[in-house]
Amino acid sequence: MFRQRVLRILLVLMVLFTQPGCWSSKEIEDLSVYTGLALDKGEPNTLEREFEERGGSYQKHNKVTATVQIVPERTIGNSGKDGETPKTHFNNISETGDSLLEVFRQFSIRQNRPIIGHHLKVIVISEDLVQKEKIRRLMDFVLRDNDIRPSCLIFLSQGRASDTLMTTSEEIPSFRLAEMVHNNFRTSKVMKGITLSNLDALMYSKQSFVLQNVVEAHGEVEFSGAGIIKGDTGHWIGNLDQHDVESIAWIKGDIKGGSIKAYDQSNDSITYEIKSVKSKITLNETDDKKISFHVAIESTGRLIEDWDVKEHSSNVGYFKELEKIFEEKLTQHINSLIHKMQSTYKVEVAGFGDWYSIEKPHVWKQIKDHWDEEFTRIPVTFDLKLKITDFGSTSD
Amino acid sequence: MWSKIVSYIPDWTIFMQAAITLLFPIGIYYLYKHLYFYVGSGRSKESGAKSQDSELKKADNDEANQQPPVCTAFTQDYDANLTAIRMALGDNSDVHFREFSVKSIQARAVLVYVEGMQDEELINQQVLQNLMFAGEMQASEGIYTYMKQNMLPLVQLNETRDLDYLQESVLFGYTALIVEGMREMLLVGFPHGAVRAINEPTSEALLRGPRIGFTEVLSENTSMLRRQGLNKNLEMQKVEVGSEIKKNLVIAYMKNIVNPDLLQEVKDRISKIDMDFILESGYVEQLIEDDYLSPFQQTQNTERPDRVIASLLEGRIAILLDGTPFALIVPVTFSMLLQSPEDYYERWLPGTLLRVLRFCASFLALLAPALYISFISFHPGLIPTQLAISIIETRQGVPFPALIEVLILEISIEILREAGIRLPKPIGPAMGIVGGLIIGDAAVQAGIVSPFLVIVVAVTAISSFSIPMYSAGITLRILRFAGMLFAAVLGMFGTILFFLLICSHLTRLSSFGVPYITPISPFRVSDWKDLFVRAPLSIMKRRPEMLKTQKKKRRS
Amino acid sequence: MFKRTDDKITTSQATIVLTNSMLGAGILTLPRDIVQGVKTPDAWVSVVLGGIAVLIVILVMVKLSQQFPGKTVFQYSKKIVGNLPGGVLSSLLILYFIVIAGFEIRVLAEVTLFFLLEGTPIWAIVMPFIWVGTYLVYGGINSIARVFQIVFPISIFILIICFILSTRIFDIQHLRPFMSEGLMPVIHGMKSSILIFTGCEVVMTMTAFMEQPQEAVKGMVVGFCIPLVLYLVTVVMVIGGLSINSVITSTWPTIDLVRSFEISGFFFERFEFPLLVIWLMQMFCNFCSFFFNAALGISQVFNLKIHPVIFALMPVIFICTMIPQRINDVFSLGDSIGYMGVLIFMLLPLLLSIVLLIRKKGLKQNV
Repeated sequence: MFRQRVLRILLVLMVLFTQPGCWSSKEIEDLSVYTGLALDKGEPNTLEREFEERGGSYQKHNKVTATVQIVPERTIGNSGKDGETPKTHFNNISETGDSLLEVFRQFSIRQNRPIIGHHLKVIVISEDLVQKEKIRRLMDFVLRDNDIRPSCLIFLSQGRASDTLMTTSEEIPSFRLAEMVHNNFRTSKVMKGITLSNLDALMYSKQSFVLQNVVEAHGEVEFSGAGIIKGDTGHWIGNLDQHDVESIAWIKGDIKGGSIKAYDQSNDSITYEIKSVKSKITLNETDDKKISFHVAIESTGRLIEDWDVKEHSSNVGYFKELEKIFEEKLTQHINSLIHKMQSTYKVEVAGFGDWYSIEKPHVWKQIKDHWDEEFTRIPVTFDLKLKITDFGSTSD
Repeated sequence: MWSKIVSYIPDWTIFMQAAITLLFPIGIYYLYKHLYFYVGSGRSKESGAKSQDSELKKADNDEANQQPPVCTAFTQDYDANLTAIRMALGDNSDVHFREFSVKSIQARAVLVYVEGMQDEELINQQVLQNLMFAGEMQASEGIYTYMKQNMLPLVQLNETRDLDYLQESVLFGYTALIVEGMREMLLVGFPHGAVRAINEPTSEALLRGPRIGFTEVLSENTSMLRRQGLNKNLEMQKVEVGSEIKKNLVIAYMKNIVNPDLLQEVKDRISKIDMDFILESGYVEQLIEDDYLSPFQQTQNTERPDRVIASLLEGRIAILLDGTPFALIVPVTFSMLLQSPEDYYERWLPGTLLRVLRFCASFLALLAPALYISFISFHPGLIPTQLAISIIETRQGVPFPALIEVLILEISIEILREAGIRLPKPIGPAMGIVGGLIIGDAAVQAGIVSPFLVIVVAVTAISSFSIPMYSAGITLRILRFAGMLFAAVLGMFGTILFFLLICSHLTRLSSFGVPYITPISPFRVSDWKDLFVRAPLSIMKRRPEMLKTQKKKRRS
Repeated sequence: MFKRTDDKITTSQATIVLTNSMLGAGILTLPRDIVQGVKTPDAWVSVVLGGIAVLIVILVMVKLSQQFPGKTVFQYSKKIVGNLPGGVLSSLLILYFIVIAGFEIRVLAEVTLFFLLEGTPIWAIVMPFIWVGTYLVYGGINSIARVFQIVFPISIFILIICFILSTRIFDIQHLRPFMSEGLMPVIHGMKSSILIFTGCEVVMTMTAFMEQPQEAVKGMVVGFCIPLVLYLVTVVMVIGGLSINSVITSTWPTIDLVRSFEISGFFFERFEFPLLVIWLMQMFCNFCSFFFNAALGISQVFNLKIHPVIFALMPVIFICTMIPQRINDVFSLGDSIGYMGVLIFMLLPLLLSIVLLIRKKGLKQNV
């Protein structure tokens, strides 16, 4: 009797042992890893339309077209030969709908392997889409999903976002975009990458902000300027160009490298390579409660290129002249930025609001809801001090 | 309000699951108790075998009881004695009787010996020559005392009056001398068989350190221990174990350092051993250990005398058995299994780094396949992206899930390892290369396993070889398979539970009363000097606290 | 022999037991709770203030327990206020421990199901966890303390590494302005910050097991300061790394902090994996501590042997784990546990100390 019971229990245990990994184990090669996501205005492409004609559709409003970049493309068997290095290919598929999760699950009726977002690196949103839809709505699924990591980067794109995920060269576009952000130590035209957690904070605070703009042509991409997202509406309202992005970086003091090019009296190009930048924003309050901002920027750098070969480029007097020219040029750029912020677009995206909230938190609480408007009335002054400290390895 | 509370009461499936939560461990608990009760510990309830000092006490009692019928005692009658001995031993073809007469007392005498086991020159010169040719006797003393004091220039001389004991001794290799008129039988001539030369122990080779290892002869082993240096505190006590074939076992300790309670415990357990023949020290180990169901060994076995003497100086106790070069050291703790004497012979910096390396290697050997399975099957998001992509590409054609793949390769490696032990020397390395490289490569080419797995398995195998103690390596191998099963069911969570389960088991294990997991916990900073790092010798001033020795300081 | 008779633990072990009993589920949700209460970046100040308040509580508890060496609160409460009220108070404490144990496992299961294992049924996570916990608790306070001592250094080490690495995204501006709205919001935040220090009641039982009770004060204070420092650093790093807007909207802020950066080329690109590993081990320790205390309480109040009690508690804890049905219920259960803790503090150490003082004074007067 006891033996029988023991035998039964052993049988149950053995059955239990045949079920290893029956719950959430999915072998890694049975999964599709997608590394890039592009969101466009909802326009079903030809493939989709054919499917809909033949197979019918489901209830949707076609607001968003999501394109995912799946890496690597399936190869049958493995190459095995030592001679050829296997090329990683990618595959873009897109689907249109109005709920991102539903769109992703639609992929399951088209593909044999489920897609997982653990390795999502890049999200590109087209400006047309953000003009129509609030950015907070688009990002809602991405923020709630447990797979998608908050470290993925967000970009805006001028044309179709799915085009930025195509390339004619041998690399994977989403990796290329993710790695291009690291170039910000070379030039300040590349913004510091905005990750999903940064975006979450910006959206929650309802302040306006900028996102890097990606432009695509013939399979190549370029980081050109930034798109402005207005805080209270959450829509895209316009673009700043490359010089404006640089100027924002100058105001924030957030520059790791870059250059200023100007023309001297003889209309020859001279270039200043930035070594370090320090900037301080101060809030001045006059007696009748009028606020003004003052930005003090100091920078050191070297004269790296001088097309005016007649001049003696190791002369300190010459340097002082050049410094003035550079300062003028920079002043021009920053003024243009401020003009755009205060008049053209009526937003504030250069970080003045953060300083305000730190210096005068009580007042900030009252005005933060209409800060963009307030800012158009606040005068901003700045002064620049550039110092050319060396001239490289050739002199004269 | 009431309905709100009711809505929170879970439904009956949850209660069922709660019941399973209860019943499963109760089942295991009862299984464990039954198993323990059924199998027992191999030890009898009271002391069985006799120790030397108690034997002497018993001998006096025995004398009084030994006269009656079973003719175990000797009489004064020489012929009767001789007949009795011939009857007992004569059937053995290699027992010889050499009769002669002792000149000085004009008595007959006989030497009983087994062929091939005595030192002929010693017997010829010291015994026969002296007895046959020496001079006159003083009649006042007894023959026995006279012979012992004046006639037999031998260092090793025992006597007995018991026929059984004589029989055992002669068959063991002693030479017996029976003289007419003498009641005692003398055992002259120590057993002297062919022995192995002293060479380096194969299982514990070192680069730097003494190259001697124990041999199978107990007296040589004890002499090796004594020859380590001049001291007056190394004490050795001899015990006989085994009921059918008796062997000598020596308990060695430093009398001014060891904790007397520990010593008493060891002696008690050894005296309770109840087995007909103790073949190797492994038998002793299994019969005196605390918990035989644990995968971890609770005594350490070694062939090196330097390890033994170092442990003795820490306050541990060594057990040497005749007939095997492996000595046992008790009590053992977890850290000892990963230490090697080389750590101490080199300077502290290489010693520390090598020890840290060994800890990492043992950790890898235990958990690497489990981690592989949990990453590949459960958590692809935790691997770096580039690695994940290359793994996906290389695993395209593999038909098996990760668990089966790992099991295939691991079992093949285990079979290879077992085969490698038994291969004759010339073929061994070649087969290793064939097995390792070619089979692994062929498996990848055939698409049965992925190349990443081959690397993982190879690293695991090599890590398990870096563990200095072979028995600890076996433990880790067994546990690795259990870890793989846990990982296959619950992924990373299962691996962590497995690790916690091992930690819990280790904390409940104790070796002769010393908790196994010291010195990792409790935090005694002085013991940590010898755990993951090897502090410079000038800092290691005290003996380990955990053994509660009598003398704490190593240096004055 | 060497077996520690009477199951005593050393001072350092008692310290570690207290630390591990307090580092629990709170570390993941703490930043969000406090920021929701304070609404400014000064949340770390409320952590400090809350810590000081709880420190006083602990000192009261230690002093009280030192009056009765070798006896746990379940035993001496009977002595102070009589059998029945003492039994009632102890039962309250036991219920508290059981509920906390169930809550901790539930949070663990939620986080594991969300981040690690998606398709696994919840009982498959909870049951093995309870089984391994039972195996450990069966060995008594000594084995528990030893396992804690093994797990603790690993946890601290990896936690510190994660925080050092998160300095990549740390921005001190996120922590400013300092004290912009004065002290009031900070006081509001203390409501949440005291709740995270639940678990300190084990002081009342630990002192009975210590080898040297006179060292109890030092040990317990150290054991309390370690989680305090850790919580402080967590709050600072999380707010500094994510900025309070992101913290408010994130369900598990600490894990999000670690997921917000990737160090490509380093061994683990993603650091949430070591963080989750040590967090799981810490939760295991936490759970075992409460499990043991609850079992000890039942066996001492109702005079039963502890081993059957351990077995009997397993299904009870399992049911407690499964009672909350949604994640909102889980969080509100966490809050109510905090309030219960405050209540228990009122009733147990405070009340008992007062009664004891009165009695002593009464005795003195009589004599």
